[in-house]
Amino acid sequence: MKAFFLGVDIFLCLMVFLCLYRVVFGPTLGDRIVATGAIGTKTLTILVIIGFLYGRVEMFLDISLAYALLNFIGTLAAAKYFEAKGEF
Amino acid sequence: MVIRDIIAMILILIGCFFFLTSAIGLLRFPDMFTRMHATGKCDTLAVLLVMTGLIVHHGINLDSFKLLLIVVFIYIANPTATHVLSRAAYRLGMQPWTKDKK
Amino acid sequence: MLRSRYQDIIAQTIVRIMVPFVQIYALYVLAHGHYSPGGGFQGGVILAASLVLIFLVYGYENALERLKLATAGRLCSLGVLIYAGIGFLCLLLGGNFLDYSRLAPIFQVSLPRARSLGILGIETGVALAVMAAMYSIIMDIVNSDTGNGESHAAGHEIENGETSSDGK
Repeated sequence: MKAFFLGVDIFLCLMVFLCLYRVVFGPTLGDRIVATGAIGTKTLTILVIIGFLYGRVEMFLDISLAYALLNFIGTLAAAKYFEAKGEF
Repeated sequence: MVIRDIIAMILILIGCFFFLTSAIGLLRFPDMFTRMHATGKCDTLAVLLVMTGLIVHHGINLDSFKLLLIVVFIYIANPTATHVLSRAAYRLGMQPWTKDKK
Repeated sequence: MLRSRYQDIIAQTIVRIMVPFVQIYALYVLAHGHYSPGGGFQGGVILAASLVLIFLVYGYENALERLKLATAGRLCSLGVLIYAGIGFLCLLLGGNFLDYSRLAPIFQVSLPRARSLGILGIETGVALAVMAAMYSIIMDIVNSDTGNGESHAAGHEIENGETSSDGK
């Protein structure tokens, strides 16, 4: 089961790099924000699975929940800021 | 290997498939709204599937309750973030992609 | 403008439901800091994050109604006072600075329990100070921006058919 979790983690890291393409080369600002949010969701899953790998689930779950919260606030703030600024 | 682990592995693998789908959609779709369509839905579903698999693997205790909490939070927060972003883009005059425009 | 209320009923409803749970989670992180990651600083940051969430969606004036900047400054000082007060109380009772075991006769508990309670008190002070400092930093940053998209946002509010409460 540990080998399986490790494989899933490596696969998700690959997905993060795929999304990173959109963050770096995204034509508009909105593309970058969307891709950042997607990377945040994947990172949260990676964190939970790392907790299962290390055998310290409760610790990494707390980190992961806080990460989800900050990811949401970041997206909301970016959307409001760029809407108020008038460029996207 | 217990039957529980096999169920968990199947669920997690389906979740990984949806993560792959969202990444491909983010890369291949033509404009921001369609990309948001790919990530907003696929990521939410994939988190549900992976966390359900982990709950099946781990059994019922406080940790699986926290996993459920993460799923509920993502289910509330991810669609809201997508809605807020798409609303901002639409009100700033970004035109949705259509087939005959390009 | 960034200061105005975000005219979106979905975001407003979600934030209104979410904020109390976020605050309870912050208290959990604060109180559970001995056994898991977290503690004073992290709990304070999550508390400040819930206040920032209110500000983002309900607007600058509405957030100030819940926690005024002057009150935030007093809370910041109160947090430092709690920290230093517990430290100097230990000093007065004959130990080192922050030597919690000296608090055992006051609380009428055993030595390990007194250490645990002392650390919890310290963490509470840190959380209060961090929350107030983060909140006032963000509010000051927002208040100081002069923004070039002002006319744009104002046009949206007229188009929405609602009058904004803060006169922007």
